[in-house]
Amino acid sequence: MTRIRQPRRRRPPWLVPALLIIPAFLVVFALAAYSAVWLLQLSMVKLTFGDPFRTAEWVGLENYNWLLFNEFTTFWASLRVTAVYVVGTLVPELVIGFLIALLLNRKMRGNSVFTAALIIPMVLMPSMVGMVGRLYFSPYGLINYFIESLTGIRHNWYGADLALWAAVLVDIWEWTPFFILILLAGLQTLPVEPFEAARVDGASRLQSFVHLTLPLMLPLIMTTLILRLMDVLRLFDVIFVMFGGGPGTSTTTLPLYIYRTTLIQRDVGRGSAASVMLIIIIVSLTVILIKLRDRIRYEA
Amino acid sequence: MKLANLRALLGSRFLDLLTIGVVAAFLFPYVFMVSSAFKTRLDTFAYPPIFWGFTPTLEHFKNIFSDMNILFYMKNSTIIAVCSTLLTILISIPATYSFARFRFHYKEGVAYGFLFLQMVPGISIVFALFFIAGSLNLSDTHIFLIVVYLLWNVPYAIWMMRGFVEGIPVELEESAMVDGASRFKAFRLITLPLMAGGIAATAILIFIGVWNEFSVAFFLTSTEARTMPTTIAFFMTHSGIKWGPMFATATIGTLPVVIFALLVRRYFISALTFGAVKG
Repeated sequence: MTRIRQPRRRRPPWLVPALLIIPAFLVVFALAAYSAVWLLQLSMVKLTFGDPFRTAEWVGLENYNWLLFNEFTTFWASLRVTAVYVVGTLVPELVIGFLIALLLNRKMRGNSVFTAALIIPMVLMPSMVGMVGRLYFSPYGLINYFIESLTGIRHNWYGADLALWAAVLVDIWEWTPFFILILLAGLQTLPVEPFEAARVDGASRLQSFVHLTLPLMLPLIMTTLILRLMDVLRLFDVIFVMFGGGPGTSTTTLPLYIYRTTLIQRDVGRGSAASVMLIIIIVSLTVILIKLRDRIRYEA
Repeated sequence: MKLANLRALLGSRFLDLLTIGVVAAFLFPYVFMVSSAFKTRLDTFAYPPIFWGFTPTLEHFKNIFSDMNILFYMKNSTIIAVCSTLLTILISIPATYSFARFRFHYKEGVAYGFLFLQMVPGISIVFALFFIAGSLNLSDTHIFLIVVYLLWNVPYAIWMMRGFVEGIPVELEESAMVDGASRFKAFRLITLPLMAGGIAATAILIFIGVWNEFSVAFFLTSTEARTMPTTIAFFMTHSGIKWGPMFATATIGTLPVVIFALLVRRYFISALTFGAVKG
């Protein structure tokens, strides 16, 4: 038998691939569409959490209007907290992660043990991490012990001015390994020739790092940042368990804002409108950054 | 020995030590957490903290199994994570194969459509899901969580596994088809066994994700379908936080995940980047 079997009937070429995708497509897009319809509907009503849905009162775009333009809105304050949290986590994670990746990028025994150890912080239950973080950052906790033995001062991490930074530090601990592992994988696949050529031409280590390593790594750095950004913007569990958005509104990032508006203030409409805003922010930022990265990659 | 060589040796010794120090620093909070599960309440709150030399106790582990019935929540977590993972893989394999092996209109568009839906934050639709569960009479059930998680798991599985299929030469299948096998038979006998490792890794990573998931599970379950991560609420009592049982639960809850993660560490970088970067 060397003859390719002929199809019994003439099938359009798209039929088989379409049939294979349909189950996944139906499940995912049906779930998304069903949730989207409900979410949009909830964002346009006035409804107290706990009351049945039939008591909802249609208000159109009033919830969005209130969130964005009302003089008492705390939406923008929450956006500011989110921005601080995003920058406060991603910048140190990238810098420290890159430095450690450079450190690990040497021939050394036990490298696989090290990478294995670095996986652990990322796979721990975030809710438990939050709880443990709460104890470690308590007035007589682990963190203050180390800080006191170094500087002689204990900080009040539970206070409004430091709580967000405690959550930032927890995230840095959990997710710097993300940058380390991905950037290390990138460093190990860099081409060798340009570096040899640079050395022959008498370039210093610093020069070849700035002019070769950084530009070659830039697309990967962007990819890593985009993936992390998506995750940090939607992070809820760790901050919720550690501080619940407080004290005051000092740790109320957008996901916490959604929770507080919906469950604490019991305002389903405004909470849902804020949810829609969060989705819009995440998707649009990601699209812009992916476009930007592809342009960098194209130019490189 | 020349001075330059000595300096290089000392330098590399220094970097080795630095590496060990850095890795130990990342591991330390976890090790301290596990050790705290074996401490008495007094030892947990000692200041300066006790790092070693305390008398270990199993009291907290006994406590969570007898008083808190932690097995019940472990069972819920296991049911939900295993079912959701199996369903995900079952649904995703045909779709993955289609994306990897066929050419059709709007292919990348559809693939990115899946990816964008994966990006939807759980917290922003969980309250809509809460109302949906209520309207379908599925509040606080396993099946609702199992199905809801598919929204995130299926796109993830497709993007992860697509790379594995594309890494298997299509010629292998083609030669089987030349020998008279149907496309399905060629897939079943050749491609499927070759991608088994990738499927297993994907399944384990999805299992870890569901096992750890908090935001959705916390607001969609109360008593019947409550999962491990959401039991933290039980440790916050009027008389303060029950740290010992909390540490014991955290130790038990993270143990399987850490073991699984180390088993698939080869795949971890692809896993973190949706298959965009190979390790």
